[in-house]
Amino acid sequence: MTVPQALVIRKADLGTWVDSLIGRTEVIGPTRGPRGDVLLATLSGARELLWDFTNALQPPKQFLLPQTEPLVQIRTARGHAQAESVADAHPQVLFNVRSCDVKGFAVLRRMHAQPPGDTAYLRRDEQTTLVCLTCPTPCPLGFCVCADAGPFLEEHFDLQLTAMDDAMFVEVGSAKGRALLEGQDRLFRPAAASEVARRAEIEAEARRRFGPVTCHFGSAMRRVSTGRVAQALWDAIADWCLECGGCNFICPTCYCFSVRDRREDGSWERCRVWDSCQYAAFTLEASGHNPRKRQGGRVRRRFFHKVSAQYYQKDGDVGCVGCGRCITVCLGTADMPAVVEALRKGEWHG
Amino acid sequence: MADLFLPSVATIQDRRDETPDTRTYRLRFRDAAEHERFQFIPGQFLELSVFGLGEAPFCFASSPTRKQSIEVTVRRTGQLTDALHAMDAGDEVGLRGPCGNGFDLAAAAGHDLLFIAGGIGLPPLRGLIWNVLDTRERFGRVTILYGARTPADLVYKDELGVWQNRGDVELHTTVDRGDAGWAGNVGMVPILFDRAELRPANTLVYVCGPPIMITFVIQDLLARGFAAEQIISTLERMMQCGVGKCNHCCIGHRWVCRDGPVFTYRQIQEMVE
Repeated sequence: MTVPQALVIRKADLGTWVDSLIGRTEVIGPTRGPRGDVLLATLSGARELLWDFTNALQPPKQFLLPQTEPLVQIRTARGHAQAESVADAHPQVLFNVRSCDVKGFAVLRRMHAQPPGDTAYLRRDEQTTLVCLTCPTPCPLGFCVCADAGPFLEEHFDLQLTAMDDAMFVEVGSAKGRALLEGQDRLFRPAAASEVARRAEIEAEARRRFGPVTCHFGSAMRRVSTGRVAQALWDAIADWCLECGGCNFICPTCYCFSVRDRREDGSWERCRVWDSCQYAAFTLEASGHNPRKRQGGRVRRRFFHKVSAQYYQKDGDVGCVGCGRCITVCLGTADMPAVVEALRKGEWHG
Repeated sequence: MADLFLPSVATIQDRRDETPDTRTYRLRFRDAAEHERFQFIPGQFLELSVFGLGEAPFCFASSPTRKQSIEVTVRRTGQLTDALHAMDAGDEVGLRGPCGNGFDLAAAAGHDLLFIAGGIGLPPLRGLIWNVLDTRERFGRVTILYGARTPADLVYKDELGVWQNRGDVELHTTVDRGDAGWAGNVGMVPILFDRAELRPANTLVYVCGPPIMITFVIQDLLARGFAAEQIISTLERMMQCGVGKCNHCCIGHRWVCRDGPVFTYRQIQEMVE
């Protein structure tokens, strides 16, 4: 059968659908941790999947870009080295991913697909299906509307779900999304014109609730891109950065990494591991020379990569999806909206 | 799609001491067919693995016109290079590459070429110099200015003699501090400018060396009428992936590993971060 681009499933039938997916592939989604936190984990049953939540503590990037990812295995046999690529990609469905995080994957995909393609990432990406769950109400710290990353998306998802009274409106964004509906004719029916209209109303209502833009990237971009931000301002911001790297690790679009060889039972695994541009060792050369010796230089680097016009032209987006996690995680106050505001006004008060 | 991070195994053919802390290694891919297929241009670099310790970037110190082996010149300065210095003929390393843009030889054809190197800055230029000398008729005058801290710190000492004795190369060397056996120039590299015949109009300049030397050399070149577009250098940054993914080597939105490491001084001036 040809699956239409917009369908409807009754909320009462969602469990049946999700359970049937869990039966045939790995399904990862938001679930309640032992202390009440929203965590992303592999689900063993549809009852574990959350539908009513703000967002997971961590972004889902770890499922495509693991913190430590073996890339090459190196063995030695009879005095000779053998190197082989490690390919452990397997099909996975990321369910109920918020729009900001789906947009985060779009940023990661574009970057990894740039020639030469990052084979390890792209193999995982090919095997991953993203099911976006739109946001009817703003989360306390998010600013996705400023980054064109929500609360509803027009692209980047495989399926997009919108809660609508006692049903769920399903938009198909790709063949991978369509595949999740195969053999489920009993559960889904094409959306009626009235339902399409209702879905549009819900989005309009959500956008009203999310309010106007509050994080003015354009204004910060003009200053950052031309090097017109005084180093003293960067240094002042850096005073409020504890160099923990939390903002990088929690960011849905940060992907910088290091390469390390790890000993594994008589062989080595060459691994990609997350790294942070906020660490002094990130640019430390073997000679001892470090072009970003001062933290102010490293903070400047982070925000140049995130909001400069140079990167915007190259990548087509700012490197932020407005999820607000850096606000939560920063031990100081050097989060995205605070720094953008400081750049815009040319002053910083901690 | 070829796997981006997969190294090929290569065997060390031999090693040669250049200075007390610097050695040149001759390498061949273990797979003879791969060695034959492998192509690079001077100015590019490769990621060399010491298995168990990881990878580090080294420029090709040899010319693609001499295919029997790939040469890298390595100063002992960290974990990986310590381990490499302990390795000898027959030992295996990993190679991945070539990485980076390399020197534009086609654009250099017909020009006079001025090579200026300081210390361990000669290896990246050596591959280019031999490539030029092996296709000598394509280029105008070739001038090499090379300086090091002491006579012992000069690399490729035998080759300096070979270049000196060729009729088609003008070579001047200098050291910051001489010793009993040194009868040559004493002083920083810029003192050599007055000894060589410089003709800015049709010359491309290739500069490679420690940052402080590059700074002074470029100031001098500009003062002597060379344009920023004529001055070509290679930049160094901490690199990990070598393919424009890990972002360790970024300057502004440029990757030194992929957009470089070869840049004109004009491009370097325009970098914003």
